[in-house]
Amino acid sequence: MNCEVALILDKKYEQLQNISDDPLSQTSQVFEKSLQYVKRFSRYKNSETVKQVREYPSFQTVLSRNRLAEFELCVLGNLCPETVEEAIAMVPTIKTKGRFEDDDAIEKMLHDLSLIKKFE
Amino acid sequence: MFFHMVLERNMQLHPRYFGPHLQEKLKSKLVKDVEGTCSGKHGFVVAVTKVDNIGKGLIREGTGFVTFPVKYQCVVFRPFRGEILEAVVTLVNKMGFFAEAGPVNIFVSNHLIPDDMEFQSGDAPNYTTSDGSVKIQKDSEVRLKIIGVRVDAAEIVNSDAGLAGKKCFDHTFARNEHNLDNCPVEK
Repeated sequence: MNCEVALILDKKYEQLQNISDDPLSQTSQVFEKSLQYVKRFSRYKNSETVKQVREYPSFQTVLSRNRLAEFELCVLGNLCPETVEEAIAMVPTIKTKGRFEDDDAIEKMLHDLSLIKKFE
Repeated sequence: MFFHMVLERNMQLHPRYFGPHLQEKLKSKLVKDVEGTCSGKHGFVVAVTKVDNIGKGLIREGTGFVTFPVKYQCVVFRPFRGEILEAVVTLVNKMGFFAEAGPVNIFVSNHLIPDDMEFQSGDAPNYTTSDGSVKIQKDSEVRLKIIGVRVDAAEIVNSDAGLAGKKCFDHTFARNEHNLDNCPVEK
């Protein structure tokens, strides 16, 4: 997820800062741009919350039972859809048979995820 | 989307570095060589996070260079067709607009911008809906769907994208109004 990348890149940036006074000259443009991007678009602020989202029970059960792929999880985590329709438009595969019983189940998941964000 | 993955690379090292700090030298050369590069298969290599394993070197005849197979972990960014992501608008003109998602440049043609959005020229060119509630201009945040990816000779990925489907699009609108210059982006 974007927020995890932000954590990794930030740490690396700090390390570079310790080594030299001008860390930006050491890094590539790709690194710089990516860092700006993930900082702008990361939804969760600290590593605790990220962990909570990753370990969200229905993700875990869905991951094990129905193989909700990691990238599907990441898209949901990155974009934080608010409605079921939105979520299905972003990740069409979540409505594949057997993943969730019905729309209510998806809605519950989205609601729980937004709660995690609220209480971080 | 960003990925964390293990890659392998054969590193050539000049004989002058053979000595006490060979491993360190190899690591810094790896970082210098691969960070910022782009390949069609893995996309952009953003950062090397860890060097897992440095294999046995093989001396090349004639040159004296030694080739080491190196296994390393890195963060890569690769856009996929059909993926929905967020981007920052960098340039708006009558053909459409350009946006940036990390290292990737994205072009959205005006054919793929909804019909009810009109191009407005002027100091700050933008696309505006008829009721003026939504504006796409420089520094706006948009949510879009990638419809094609191209890696060109300059090793910059260009993605052609359409604004994400109607349902997401309404949401795009909601976010769009938050211009970074004017107000803090809600997170």
